[in-house]
Amino acid sequence: MNQPSAECMIEARGVQKWYPNGFHALRGVDLTVHRGEVVVVMGPSGSGKSTFIRTFNALEDFQQGSITVDGRALSNDLRDIDAIRREVGMVFQQFNLFPHLSVLENLTLAPIQVRKRPKAEVEEQAYALLERVGIREQADKYPGQLSGGQQQRVAIARSLCMEPRILLFDEPTSSLDPEMVREVLEVMRNLAADGMTMVVVTHEVGFAREVAHRVVLMAEGQVVEEADPATFFTNPSHERSRQFLAQIL
Amino acid sequence: MTLSLPQRLKRELAATPLDGAVSAVLIVAITAAAIGFLGWAFGRAQWLVIQANGTLLAVGRYPVEQQWRLWLLVGLLAAATGLGWGLLRGRRWPFNDRLASVLLVALGLWAPAALGLSLPLQVRWWAITALLLGLRWAFGRWGAAGLARLHPRVRRLLPLGFPLLYLIGLWLIAGGLGLGSVAPSEWGGLLLTLLMASLAMLLSFPLGVLLALGRRSELPLLRWGSVLYIEFIRGAPLITLLFLGQNILGFLLPGGLAPDRVWRAAAVLTLFCAAYLAEAVRSGLAAVPRGQVEAARSLGLSVPQTLGAVVLPQALRTALPTMVGQFISLLQDTTLLSLIGLLDLLGMARSVMANPAYLGKNAEVYLTLAVLFWCCCAALGLGSRALERRLDTTRPA
Repeated sequence: MNQPSAECMIEARGVQKWYPNGFHALRGVDLTVHRGEVVVVMGPSGSGKSTFIRTFNALEDFQQGSITVDGRALSNDLRDIDAIRREVGMVFQQFNLFPHLSVLENLTLAPIQVRKRPKAEVEEQAYALLERVGIREQADKYPGQLSGGQQQRVAIARSLCMEPRILLFDEPTSSLDPEMVREVLEVMRNLAADGMTMVVVTHEVGFAREVAHRVVLMAEGQVVEEADPATFFTNPSHERSRQFLAQIL
Repeated sequence: MTLSLPQRLKRELAATPLDGAVSAVLIVAITAAAIGFLGWAFGRAQWLVIQANGTLLAVGRYPVEQQWRLWLLVGLLAAATGLGWGLLRGRRWPFNDRLASVLLVALGLWAPAALGLSLPLQVRWWAITALLLGLRWAFGRWGAAGLARLHPRVRRLLPLGFPLLYLIGLWLIAGGLGLGSVAPSEWGGLLLTLLMASLAMLLSFPLGVLLALGRRSELPLLRWGSVLYIEFIRGAPLITLLFLGQNILGFLLPGGLAPDRVWRAAAVLTLFCAAYLAEAVRSGLAAVPRGQVEAARSLGLSVPQTLGAVVLPQALRTALPTMVGQFISLLQDTTLLSLIGLLDLLGMARSVMANPAYLGKNAEVYLTLAVLFWCCCAALGLGSRALERRLDTTRPA
């Protein structure tokens, strides 16, 4: 397993969030993610885990606390937010590919428009990435013509094409048919082995056991337990963790 | 299982006794109507009114010595059509294309003769038909290869040919810049109808998109301004707005400064259509899932980039059928121009029918109008469906 460095990529301190309807979604969450580290966030639905990782690239705002991503503090300054989003890739549960663009165009859109890189160079890189996730031959198709697993692999390649320093995964396999989960996890496993910094919200115990450096359990908007996978799955220290594990194992 | 013809007829027309009765009644009714209509159209109807007034219905009182400019414009449009058609289809001639070609040839041979045009004019008509089909064939055969040899930068400029052609058309019609100018009051008939409709379509499209975006804006003034505008326009009948447009500018601007009545009417049509387009675009925008915006933003695209590259293309694709429906209504609404005294197709027809020489020939004139409008609307509908198919990215490869 690739060893994380001491450099801090994400540092969240005392993050609190209320939804407009008054619901207290995050109740003082702390988390530190180091460069090259794979952190898996688990927890029952409604525990705030998706909301939490969506604050890292400002898809969700928060009212109290602080988050520093790659040395930049998240603030309301839009230029800072755009700068952070360029360095933080995100993979969604529903893929969110652009249905009106071909697979290749899905990959090249942001590097060309945001990073202003030459088209030919980006396309070369896009083909290489599609090769890496095993679907180079689908480059000219449209997302609607691919299976769920293929779409999610395109979505991962799309994020990688921006050469992010951090990748966030928001339940990447939850809307896939069981036989397609494996191909997506395989891609994620390879990314982890290459040293990508990853924060993954997932229910895939096998993936967490094998790939994660650390597993975090969230419940009711708080971090309940934070441990290496071996300890987390065999000898958790909190009662709430034991309850959760009893339900999913 | 294949059925013989009598079996198939029985199944489709008379599967049950009730079906059979309905079919029988309909067959009798349709046959009677067809016999009655054909008997009138080829027997009692006197088409002299159309023959004698063909030019008036087509272009109004456009000066005869300047009409070569309109022929040139029709030729240019035919050339552009043939060119685009050829590039689109390549070497293939599917059934629809062959059918359309046969219809065009038939129209090219029959219409000028039926209108009783002079021989030189008939020859012009044939030449235009030949130009269209010839370019369709030539560009289908060699167009793609020729295009590939162009420099990519030149190739990217080619779509600009369409707005350019439109501007050339306006110049040919209105004159100026070296051509003798023809005042808008001399334009009429089908020329005026198509010009007003196309101008309003082209200008109302960007305006409608901006209004739809304004209605969803986070700036309260912009949002309320757009809502107010859209709801006001949609709440008023077009005819009142047209009258308002004719009068209000006269009050606001001193005598000679107010633009010509034709331009005022074009402005009202544009402003009217934009409000309806805005609602169509708004429903398209609402249909784009939130995840699309999140994905684009998380890739670092700015708000305008997200709008231009991700949201609008999908919203406009969704709104396309509604927008084309709106354009078809707009084309038909141009007939209201005759009520404010402009000689559009209907206005021209009414002035023809008011001529004592053609008293009682209303049916012939109205039928011609209906067919002309139907042709234009059918063309819009066909174009829209072809575009929808091209933009449909969910079809299996």
